[in-house]
Amino acid sequence: MKRVVGICNLHDGPDLGLLTENRPLGAVTFLGRYGLMDFALSNLSNSGIDRINVLVEKNVRAVRTHVREGQTWINNTKTGYMRLFFNEKSISTPRFNTDVSNLLSNRSYFEDETANYVLITNPFMLSSIDFRPFLDAHIASGADASIIYKHVNNADTGYLNCGSLTLNKIGMVKKIMTNAGMKKVANISLGTYIFNRSAFEKMLALSREVSVLYGIRKMVRYCIDEKILSLNAWEFKGYVVPILSLNDYVTQSMKLLDYSYRSQLFLEDWPIYTVTHNTPPALYGEKADVKNSFIANGCIVKGKVRNSIISRDVVIDEGTCVENSIIFTKTVIGKGKKLNYVLADKYVKVLEASEVTGDPDAFLFVEQGANL
Amino acid sequence: MPYKIVAMILAGGKGTRLEALTRKIAKPAVSFAAKYRIIDFPLSNCANSGINKVGVLMQYEAIALDSYVGNGEKWGLNGVHSFMATLAPRQTEEDAKWYKGTADAITQNIDFLDVQEPDYVLILSGDHIYKTLYNKMIDLHIKTKADATISVIEVDPKEASRFGIMAVDQNDLIVEFQEKPKVPKSNLASMGIYVFTWKTLRSYLKADEKDENSDHDFGKNIIPRMLADGNKMQAYRFQGYWKDVGTLASLHQANMDIALNRGELNLFDRDDITKIYSEDTYSVPQYVGNKGSIKRSIANQGAIILGSVDSCVISNEVVIEEGAECTRCVIMAGARVKKGAKVHNAIIAPEGVVGEKQEVNLGKDEIILVTGGSYK
Repeated sequence: MKRVVGICNLHDGPDLGLLTENRPLGAVTFLGRYGLMDFALSNLSNSGIDRINVLVEKNVRAVRTHVREGQTWINNTKTGYMRLFFNEKSISTPRFNTDVSNLLSNRSYFEDETANYVLITNPFMLSSIDFRPFLDAHIASGADASIIYKHVNNADTGYLNCGSLTLNKIGMVKKIMTNAGMKKVANISLGTYIFNRSAFEKMLALSREVSVLYGIRKMVRYCIDEKILSLNAWEFKGYVVPILSLNDYVTQSMKLLDYSYRSQLFLEDWPIYTVTHNTPPALYGEKADVKNSFIANGCIVKGKVRNSIISRDVVIDEGTCVENSIIFTKTVIGKGKKLNYVLADKYVKVLEASEVTGDPDAFLFVEQGANL
Repeated sequence: MPYKIVAMILAGGKGTRLEALTRKIAKPAVSFAAKYRIIDFPLSNCANSGINKVGVLMQYEAIALDSYVGNGEKWGLNGVHSFMATLAPRQTEEDAKWYKGTADAITQNIDFLDVQEPDYVLILSGDHIYKTLYNKMIDLHIKTKADATISVIEVDPKEASRFGIMAVDQNDLIVEFQEKPKVPKSNLASMGIYVFTWKTLRSYLKADEKDENSDHDFGKNIIPRMLADGNKMQAYRFQGYWKDVGTLASLHQANMDIALNRGELNLFDRDDITKIYSEDTYSVPQYVGNKGSIKRSIANQGAIILGSVDSCVISNEVVIEEGAECTRCVIMAGARVKKGAKVHNAIIAPEGVVGEKQEVNLGKDEIILVTGGSYK
């Protein structure tokens, strides 16, 4: 039987500015109820990968609060597990705190793992992806490793700074460049890798000789350039939601209000799991007036909401209008307020200011716990 | 707690008055208030009261109920000093028999209770909607050194003849019990919530087991017998919202009480110490469309509201299609109200469907049940 260990790599991911100042990207709220890493974890879980190591770069509390014991994603809690790996030594020296050094500092635990294959995925390329056919193809190929990519026609405006793959005639990776937006058409790496266990450990060991600053992504490029890794490339044909910047976060979230996009990310037989918060259903008051919006459980909506994403336990009081905004958990918006183009983090209170407006191209970010 | 207590939740009844809603599912497992099931209420009340040992007695259509309550994890009853046991009738060395009544259900689980060596047993019903901490009632039982304490609620004197009525003295000691009396001696109705001193109850259950003329029922047999023998029976006056949701009309009413949020039973208080726990489905948040509207309602995640909703309870994965209008409806998980349909005063069963442009129960006060494809 093939045994696969999954790695959800929270080191790998862009900076979303103020949104990721106090939390890792994986724990950022999405569509009012998810954490971004729920997609990666659910893909592993739905693909039958029941042994998951989460590599935590920073803010262990935020990750721990979100995943708890991992039961939400683990199928059998005896044969499966979810573990959090973090690098105690390097956590205060970010430059050296790479995913590779994290894995090496937890080497004993990782070596304890009996898997033959390692599947690494990340929290910022959102999709509903079944890893099983890719695993089968990888095993059949006999190569050291595989990478999953998306063939895109908008690499000039999207997927900037992602890996762009050059393939040889038989579809193996010849080169990985950084997408600088020069071409429209490209094969963009989804940052999801399958490694033979031995090839992966060899690469980790080699990194100490090459550069301690290198993480998995850079080590893969190095190994390709030095021709010491045979790397398959497999195309993923499904829908991908890239979250590569704060702007992406906002525009991609808003885009998913449209059912034609949402139905491509959320597939009927592919549930995206998340933790329970024991919130009551959402309550709509007598004057509630909601259009084209997501409303999460626990919200109390007495006012008007348009084209917005309202997270858990938010209060929108009477006479208030929230438009084109993303409101995070437990934010309270008092009576008679107007919010437009606002991204309000958790626990914000809008009780004083009567109007809070951002720009359609640059939402006004309100930091966690701020009183307006 | 300085004493040992076990709660036993009676969840085996058939609930025939809920019609098709309980055809394949026990009443305590019936959906309530968009994301809950009825049994969430007594189980959460136990958890919030610090009662960590709970038996759930099942009999009728127990599969869904059993798999729902599981190991009690949803209510935190899987901790180190807590547990939840599901107790169905079973074959024993002597014989195999069904639970013949509420008291018999406990009698058949005397072994289970003996192992726990409880000082007190709290008997609850699996089909009541209320939020409470049982501690005050238990404290009263201990303080008054009662043999049994019965939770009572004041009802309209005109309605009193529908209930089991307790006549009490100036200390709220029960002097007489009347089952559905023509001439009620008080307006204090039994809620089917009892605290018993276990040793006393145990001996009465043993005696009742041998009584061939008994219905083996707490209300009909055990309570009157204990009273006749001069045991100390204390009434505990319950304050707050309590509803037996045994009929379509009462189930609908209790749902409306929450949707309209008139304050009788508040599920939305952030600092609630009587919070109700339940299951969370893996659904996307609810979505209200460009032509949708929703007011005076509650809705659970996974609902898609493209039509108009007023004074309704909308469960997960419900779809209200464009142009559909729902008023005063309780719509259970996965149900669909198709384009242009109009529904009023209905309970729509899980996966129920109201067809395109169908008009259901408009202008009527009576509550009806809609099931798959059509309605009755």
